[in-house]
Amino acid sequence: MNSGRETAYSGEPQERRTIAVVRASLPRRYRSERRFRFFGLLAIVLSIGFLALMFASIIAQGYTAFRQTEIRLPIFFDPEVLHADALARADYGALIRHGLDRLFPDVRGRQERRELFALISSAAVYELRDFVMRDPELIGQTLEVWLKAGADIDMAVKGHFRRELPEDERRVTDRQFAWLDRLAAEGRLEKRFNRTFFTAGDSREPEQAGIWGAVCGSFFTLAVTLILSFPIGVAAAIYLEEFARRSRFTDLIEVNINNLAAVPSIVFGLLGLAVFLNFFHMPRSAPVVGGLVLTLMTLPTIIIAARSALKSVPPSIREAALGVGASRVQTVLHHVLPLALPGMLTGTIIGMARALGESAPLLMVGMVAFIVEIPKGFTDPATVLPVQIYLWADSPERAFVERTSAAILVLLAFLLVMNGAAIWLRKKYERRW
Amino acid sequence: MSPIVLLGVLLLLSAAAYHVGRRKAFAMAGAGGRAVRLHSRPTYHGALVALWCALPALLLFGLWLSFENAIVTRMVLERLPESLRSQPPDRLNLLVNDIRNIAAGHFDAAAAEPAIREAAAAYQRLRGLSRQALSAAVIALAALVAVFVRRRLRPSLRARNHVEGILTALLVACSTIAIFTTLGIVLSVVYEAVLFFRIIPFWEFLFGLNWSPQMAIRADQVGASGAFGAVPVFLGTALISAIAMTVAVPIGLMSAIYLSEYAGKTFRSIAKPLIEILAGIPTVVYGFFAALTVAPFVRDLGAVFGLGVASESALAAGVVMGIMIIPFVCSLSDDFINAVPQALRDGAYSLGATRSETIRRVILPAALPGIMGGILLAVSRAIGETMIVVMAAGLAANLTVNPLKAVTTVTVQIVTLLIGDQEFDSPKTLAAFALGLVLFVVTLVLNVIALYIVRRYREQYE
Amino acid sequence: MKKRKALLKNATMFTLALVVGLAAVGPVQAQQRDSISIVGSSTVYPFATVVAERFGKAGGFKTPKIESTGTGGGFKLFCAGVGVQHPDISNASRAIKASEFETCQKNGVTEIVEVKIGFDGIVLANSKKAPQLVFSSKDIFLALAKEVPDPKGGEGLVPNPYKTWKEVNPSLPEVKIEVLGPPPTSGTRDAFLELAMERGALAFESLKKLAKEDAKKFQKIFGSLREDGGYVDAGENDNLIVQKLVANPNAVGIFGFSFLDQNTDKIQGAKVDGHVPTFENIADGKYPLSRPLFFYVKKAHVGVIPGIKEYLAEFTSEKAWGKDGYLSEKGLIPLPEAERKKVAENVKNLTVLKDVK
Repeated sequence: MNSGRETAYSGEPQERRTIAVVRASLPRRYRSERRFRFFGLLAIVLSIGFLALMFASIIAQGYTAFRQTEIRLPIFFDPEVLHADALARADYGALIRHGLDRLFPDVRGRQERRELFALISSAAVYELRDFVMRDPELIGQTLEVWLKAGADIDMAVKGHFRRELPEDERRVTDRQFAWLDRLAAEGRLEKRFNRTFFTAGDSREPEQAGIWGAVCGSFFTLAVTLILSFPIGVAAAIYLEEFARRSRFTDLIEVNINNLAAVPSIVFGLLGLAVFLNFFHMPRSAPVVGGLVLTLMTLPTIIIAARSALKSVPPSIREAALGVGASRVQTVLHHVLPLALPGMLTGTIIGMARALGESAPLLMVGMVAFIVEIPKGFTDPATVLPVQIYLWADSPERAFVERTSAAILVLLAFLLVMNGAAIWLRKKYERRW
Repeated sequence: MSPIVLLGVLLLLSAAAYHVGRRKAFAMAGAGGRAVRLHSRPTYHGALVALWCALPALLLFGLWLSFENAIVTRMVLERLPESLRSQPPDRLNLLVNDIRNIAAGHFDAAAAEPAIREAAAAYQRLRGLSRQALSAAVIALAALVAVFVRRRLRPSLRARNHVEGILTALLVACSTIAIFTTLGIVLSVVYEAVLFFRIIPFWEFLFGLNWSPQMAIRADQVGASGAFGAVPVFLGTALISAIAMTVAVPIGLMSAIYLSEYAGKTFRSIAKPLIEILAGIPTVVYGFFAALTVAPFVRDLGAVFGLGVASESALAAGVVMGIMIIPFVCSLSDDFINAVPQALRDGAYSLGATRSETIRRVILPAALPGIMGGILLAVSRAIGETMIVVMAAGLAANLTVNPLKAVTTVTVQIVTLLIGDQEFDSPKTLAAFALGLVLFVVTLVLNVIALYIVRRYREQYE
Repeated sequence: MKKRKALLKNATMFTLALVVGLAAVGPVQAQQRDSISIVGSSTVYPFATVVAERFGKAGGFKTPKIESTGTGGGFKLFCAGVGVQHPDISNASRAIKASEFETCQKNGVTEIVEVKIGFDGIVLANSKKAPQLVFSSKDIFLALAKEVPDPKGGEGLVPNPYKTWKEVNPSLPEVKIEVLGPPPTSGTRDAFLELAMERGALAFESLKKLAKEDAKKFQKIFGSLREDGGYVDAGENDNLIVQKLVANPNAVGIFGFSFLDQNTDKIQGAKVDGHVPTFENIADGKYPLSRPLFFYVKKAHVGVIPGIKEYLAEFTSEKAWGKDGYLSEKGLIPLPEAERKKVAENVKNLTVLKDVK
C-alpha cells in the first residue's frame, strides 16, 4: 500500500502501477499462501498421526484380551463329592482333577500332576460351584464343560511364551505344551469370547479379572460430578458473564477460577483428603467423595467453557431482548442461554471426559483399592477405570499386560462416545454470527 | 424420616407451592377476562412461592444437621458417670466414637460396659428425637412460609423482580465456590508446608541447588545427604514444560487455523473430533505410551547419532506431554478464531489479501487474547501434569537444561514423596506439601499476569 | 415454547436447590461398613489381595477392600483411631516403628497384633539379551555407593570414580553402570541399602573398622547411593522397570522377586555372592537379599467387623502361606515352618504387640 502512495508522487498513472506491483508480488504471495496452508495440513496430519500410532500400539497389545483360552473337560458331578446339604463348600477342585485324570490317565508323579492341574484356572472351582448351585439337577451326570485355562496357559496359547526358549525360562513347561497340543488336536482347546472381562470386578487372577466394577465406579463418580458441576458451573458463568459488574469481588473470583483451572489435579486430591475425609468424615474410597473432588477439579474448566460460549453470543441478541422490555434475567434465560447451551454442553462433556480419565486426585481419597465387589451406590467402596488401569499396570502377572491394554481400549471407547456426543451437539448447533 | 426422604418431601412441597402460587395468580388475573393487570406473569408468582417454600426450610435443614451431632453428643456426655467424663479429650473422643458405633449397630453392644451401652441407647434416642423434630420443623416451616407468601401475592406484587433477585443471589453463591475451593487448598497445603519450613529453612528450599530428599527412614539409620534444595526440580519442570509447549503450540495453532479457515466442511467434521480425542485420552495412557514407545525410540534415535540419551529423557516426556496438549491449544484457538466476526475477514478479502495474509494480519491479532488464554491454560496443564512425567521422566533431580538427560518435576516429587513407605510426618512427606504450595503460588502468579495481558489486548482490540 | 423456557428455568432452580441440599447432607453421611478394610504397603498388596479374593469367593463374608497407600500412609490411617471409619488391618513392608506405635497408642489403638507373613526377595536383574551378571556384595557397593574407599590405596573416601562394571570388577562386562532402582521413599530401597550395601561395605577392612568406631558415619556411607547417574530412581512401578530393562540391555534393575518370577523369559536375576535368586535359594536364606513382610491387625476390631478372624485364619493357613501354598505361586517366600507355626499360634490367640524397639 505504501508503494502505491509513492508511485502517486512519481507522476505515473496510478492504477497501472498498483496492479503491476500486486501482480509482481502475486507469485510470492501465492507461494507463501501454499506454504502456510501446507503447514496447517501438516500440523493436522501430525496430530492425527500421533493418535493413530498410539491407538495402533495399544490395540496391538490389548485385542487378545477379549478372547480367553478355555478347555473342555468331561466333568462328572460326583454325588460322593457334592453333598446336597453343603453344596457351597464342596471340593469342586476334585471334580476338575478327576476330569483331567480322565483325559490324561498316564500322568503320575506329584510335580507332573501339579503341572497338569495348573492347566485350569485356580478360580474355575467357583465357576463350577455357581454352575451346580444354579442347577442341582446336574449331580450324578457327566457333562462336557468349558473351563477357563490358567493365565500362564492362556498366555502360552496366545503366543506370548515362545516355545523355543529353554524350559526353565518360561512359565509353561514342555510337558504342558505337549498336553496343550493334544487338547487342541482333540478340539478341547479354544479361544472363546472373554465375557468375564466385561462382567466381573477386579481379581488377582488375570483370567477372572474384569472391568465392570471399575466401570460402575466410574459411572457413580461421574454422575456425582455431572450433577454438581454442570448446574454450578453454568450458574457461575452466567453470573460472571452477564450480571457481574467489574469489581474487586468479581476480579477475585475470576482470578480464582482461572487459577484453579491450572492447579494440578493432585492438589485437589490433597484438598479432598483434608476437607471431605478428615473434616466431614465422609467414607474413604466412595464414589461420592471422588465425585466431589472431581467436581471441584472440573468446575473451572466448565465455567471457562460456559463463559466463552456466552461470550460468543452477539450483543445484538441481548440488545434486542432488552429493547422489547425483557428483564436482564429474562434476556439471559430466554435468549442468551439457549444459544450458548450447545457450547456449554461441549465444554461440560470435555470436562467430564477429563474427569473420567483422571486418577491422581483419586489416589488421595482412597480410591486406589482392590475391590472385587461391584459397587451399587454412591457410598460403596469403588475404584474407577483409569485407577484400575494403573493398578493392573502394576501387577506382576504377565497376563495383566494385555488386560491393561484392553481396559485402556474400553476406557477409550467410553471417551470416544462422549467426544462423539460433544461433536454431534456442536455440529448440530454450531453457528457463526 | 431420613434426610434424603425429607429432602424429597421438601421438593414435592415446593413443587406444590409453585402450582398453588400460579393458580392464585391466574385467579387474581381473572379467569378469562384479564380484569386485573398483573405486574408479573403467573409463573413468577408460582416460582416465588416455591422458592420461599424451599429455601428457608433447606437452610434450617442444613444448620440443624451440622449442629445436631455436637449437641446430641454433648447431651449424651452429660449423662455419663463422672468417672468416664473426666478423661482427657483424646480418650473422651474415642469413647464418643464407641458410643456412636454401638448406637449405629456396627459394633456389638453386648460386649460394651453398661454405662456406655446406656449412653449409646440415649444417643440413639436423642438422635431419633432430633430427626423427628427436624422433619416436623422443616415441613412446618416450608408450609407456613408458603402459605404466608401465597397470601401476600397481589396483582401489583413485583414477583418477577423478587424471583430474579433470589436467582441472582444463587448465581453469586455458585460463583463463590471457586473462592472457597482456593481457600480450602491454601489452608490444607499451607498448614503442612509451614511444618516443613520449620525444619528446613524457606530460602534453602527455594534456592538450594541440591534435591535429594533422603532423610533417615528409621531412627537408627542414616539416609543419604537429605538435601531439600528445590531448584533442580523447578528447572526440570520448566524444561519439560518448555519442550511440551514447543511441540504443542505450533502444531495446535496451525491445526486450528487450518481447520477453521481452510478445511472444507467434511474435512473439518472428521479432523477436529479426531484431534480432540487426543485430549480425552487419560494421562495414564500417555504415560505408558511415553515410557514404553517414545522413550526407547528417542534413546535409539540418539544412539544412531552417537548421542547418549537417558532412558528417561526429558525429551520423551516433553514430546508426549506436547502431544497431549495439542488439542487444548487447538480447540481453544479454534473457538476464538471462530468467534472473530466474519466482517473482519470479508474486509480483508475485499482489500485483496490472500487467506494466509488475512489470517496472519487480521484474524490472529483479533483472536490473540483468547489464544493467549488457551496457551496459558496449556502451560499450566504442562506444569501440573503428573502421570506422564511419573512414568516417563524419572526421579533423578539433575540440574540441567539438556533435554536428553533425565530430570524430575514438581508433580513427580509430590507423588513419590506422598506414596512412599516412609513415616507420614517426616520432612520428606511434608516437602510434598511445600512443593504443592510452590506449584500453587506459581500458577497463581502466572495466571494473574496472563489475565492482565489478555485484558490489555482485549481493550486494545475493542 | 414459553412453557419450555419456564420449565428450563424451574429445572435450573430445582437443581440448585438440590445442590444446596446435597451439600447439607454431606456431613451426615452415615459411616457404615460390613467388610474388612485394609490399607498399606504396595509390596504386600499383591499377596493380601489374593488372600482377600479367595476369602471373599469362598462365601460367607464380603471381599475385603484393600488400598495401596504405602507403608507409612497405611500406618497413618491405621493409627488414627478405633472405629468403623478407620481401617482394620495395615500391610507393611517393614516392621512398625516406635514413633508409629506411639501414635497408635495415643489414638487409642492400644492392641495391635503383628503378623509376619513371609519374605520378599530383592533381585538385581538385566535383560536376557545380555549375559548374566555375577556380583559380590562388594561389587554392588563399589558400583553404587556415593563415596568409596580410594581405589589407589589412599586412606580416605573418594567420590565414586567407577564408570563401567569392568572397572569395579575385571570379571564383569565393560558396560556403563546404569542401575534402575527404587526411589528414596520406597521401603524396597531401604531394605536394599541394609541388605546389599551394608554387606558390601563390610567387605572393606577400613569400613569394617569404621563401623565399630563410628556407626553413624558408617551408616551414612553405605546408605548414600551415588547421584551422578549411575543409579537412577525409577519409580515404584516395577513392571515399568522390567520393560525399561528389556528396552535397554545395558541397564540393571532392582526390584521385588515376584516381578522376576513373572518375567523369566525376558530378564534374568544376577547372582549375588554366588547364589541365583530362585525361590528355593531365598526360602533357604542362601540368597542374601530378602526382607520380611508384615501386616498389623487392630484387635479392637476383631469380632466387631465381620470376618477379620476368618481372614486371618485364611492368611495363616498352610494352603495360603505354606511352602506350596497359593501365595508362593505369587512370589511370596514362605517363613520357615517353625516360625509359621509360631506366628499362626500368635494370630490364633491374638497376641498383642507389647512394645517396639
